[in-house]
Amino acid sequence: MKMIDMLKLGLRNLGRRKARTALTVMGVVIGTISIVIMISIGIGMNENYTKQVMQLGSLNTITVGKYQDVIDSDGNYVDYKEQQINDALIEQIKALDHVKVVSGVVEGNVQLTARGKYQSNMSLYVMDKSTFEDFDFPPLANGSYNEEVNFKKPTIFVGPNILKYYFYNPKSRNYDQYEVQPTDPVTLTIQNWEYQQDPKKKARKYPVNMYVFDCDENSEYNYNTYMDKSEYERLYHEYLKTLNVKDRKKAEKKMREYNNIKVCVDNVKYIDEVQEKIKELGFYSSSLTQYTKSSQETSKMLQMVLGGVGAVAMLVSAISIANTMVMSIYERTKEIGVMKVLGCYVRDVKRLFLFEAAMIGLIGGIIGIIISYIMSFFINKFGGKLFEAIMSTGSLWGMTGEGAKFSIIPLWLPVAAAGFAMLVGVVSGFAPANKATKISAIEAMRNE
Amino acid sequence: MNNIIEVKDLKKVYHMGKEKIYAVNGVNFTIREGEFCCLLGTSGSGKSTLLNLMAGIEKASKGSIIIKGEDVVKLNETKLAKFRQNYLGFVFQAYNLIGSMNALENVEFPLIFKRVPAGKRKKMAIRMLKRVGLGERLYHKPKEMSGGQQQRVGIARAFVANPQIVFADEPTGNLDTKTTMEVMDLIHDLARRNKQTIVMVTHDPRLAEYGDKIIRVSDGKIVDVEVRKTDEEILNEQMEASRRAEIEKMEKIEKAKEAKRRKEEAKALKAAGHKKEAKTENTEDKKENEQDEQKTDETV
Repeated sequence: MKMIDMLKLGLRNLGRRKARTALTVMGVVIGTISIVIMISIGIGMNENYTKQVMQLGSLNTITVGKYQDVIDSDGNYVDYKEQQINDALIEQIKALDHVKVVSGVVEGNVQLTARGKYQSNMSLYVMDKSTFEDFDFPPLANGSYNEEVNFKKPTIFVGPNILKYYFYNPKSRNYDQYEVQPTDPVTLTIQNWEYQQDPKKKARKYPVNMYVFDCDENSEYNYNTYMDKSEYERLYHEYLKTLNVKDRKKAEKKMREYNNIKVCVDNVKYIDEVQEKIKELGFYSSSLTQYTKSSQETSKMLQMVLGGVGAVAMLVSAISIANTMVMSIYERTKEIGVMKVLGCYVRDVKRLFLFEAAMIGLIGGIIGIIISYIMSFFINKFGGKLFEAIMSTGSLWGMTGEGAKFSIIPLWLPVAAAGFAMLVGVVSGFAPANKATKISAIEAMRNE
Repeated sequence: MNNIIEVKDLKKVYHMGKEKIYAVNGVNFTIREGEFCCLLGTSGSGKSTLLNLMAGIEKASKGSIIIKGEDVVKLNETKLAKFRQNYLGFVFQAYNLIGSMNALENVEFPLIFKRVPAGKRKKMAIRMLKRVGLGERLYHKPKEMSGGQQQRVGIARAFVANPQIVFADEPTGNLDTKTTMEVMDLIHDLARRNKQTIVMVTHDPRLAEYGDKIIRVSDGKIVDVEVRKTDEEILNEQMEASRRAEIEKMEKIEKAKEAKRRKEEAKALKAAGHKKEAKTENTEDKKENEQDEQKTDETV
């Protein structure tokens, strides 16, 4: 029997009992919809949460802090610990597998003055400018990371919220706040109240370029200021000269003490592995992955539960396919006998019934996928309120934001779902098809 | 003439509890190539079982059935299917047409298993249906046809692949007397023209008269074998039948030519009136005529 004839014959047989076929197909449709929608919601939740966390910073960065928070496996804060971090540690971490870039971060204290009168005192993170992009620093609203080191006019990289809220006029009566524009002239002075100033000398004010991060509201970069290491060091050396001789040594030493070490891992999936290695070196570290892990587990659980519901629906439809096929074989006993007498191979009988069962699965799967897409669209459009009600827990905050998607159907899902539906058809049609092959040709000779 | 079927010491035992029932009990006979053989017997005589055994529908308990040099008893399911495709046709008492298929599709059905290409299949089926006189009812479903017509479809299905042997199990059992005779004549004529061997089971002695050989069966044993026609007589009848077929073919061609002429005349008349329309019709008519000719060529 040729494939094309088998196809025509099988479809014709399904068409003979339209109502029955339609009902069986409907079962598969419902099963497919539940599986696809459930999985798509799971994926949507996961993706949303990852997006939220990504806004906070790079997912493949590990931080080893001088004052390190200790986080347990569920993402809860347990303790904090002071640890000694230095160049030796950086070298050790650099030697680990999957580590792309390691950079020590020095914290400096500076005062910025905008337009000559608006001031802001703040901490400044100092690290090698060339590593910024490795650590997924946000894009810049103006300027670029790749500019040459410029000692005459150094550059600071600031978060937009710093410009918005941190500058005020100390001389005014109400400490007037001022929103600094990126084009405003800004000067930088290094200052540290720990050290005594040489009374004869005065800390210099350096005019600086100001590049602003273009980042999300929740990003850590929104409230931080960064500066290139070599540029900062030059300024710091000049600053040392203005200090009291006693304090100079102390201050110089301070320059070599890292506030934390940032580690860039080549792939998010190795984060745990690298953190574990760092722990073996005797250091605690933190990464955003730690926070995502527990929520990912929750959403995985949820996905499994939802997928389970779909699987039950699919199981029911599998039984219904088997039932339909058995009925169909009882009805067509004589016909099968006639087919055999007319020279039909046993294997073709089997194939025919398997094909019919597979078609029920496939048709149901395809219809189910189409309906799933429609449902997914409506869920994304109107589901916000519903999800807000269900997911009132804080772990999924922001999910109901503008343009958030609750149901995401990636391209592989419909393909897999159609394949699965067809597989369900074949599997549930297997026993009935075998039954059909056992029908004897003698059925054709019976006269009732 | 050669023996196309040789049955030797054939037995079929059914076990009913502890009792053994011999449906066929030590049967020996031969059937010649091109012979019309009737198995005659009352119901329960074992004649139908005998037919089923020969067609490989039931497995023999003992003995051998040599058809075309192959022992049917020893063939497995797949080889049997192949064997049926190549050599056997079946006419059933209850017609056994597929209810969801029209006449044409029913006749095409065995050719599907033979993997005959769709176009060729359709041509063969149409020719066969025309041959059994159902050229006008190609697209009728079995339900829309009378018993006689349904059996004609059944016969067309049995003969469409031009098998060397056709088994017929009470082919007229469900038909009235008049139709019975028509159907019997049809089977006989088809078999003669294509030099096919027929094995027919019947309980009606009058129908057995069609046979070149009558094998009387009773209680699973052969009571009597009556050879009614010699090899020569059968050969003569076959030649006569093919001559008749030749003549019919010529007549049809003549008829087609006549029809063509008439059409052309009509066309010429029309052409005088509306030229443009006539032009298009012209080409269509030509095509039709060509098709008609082709069909008549095949209709034998």
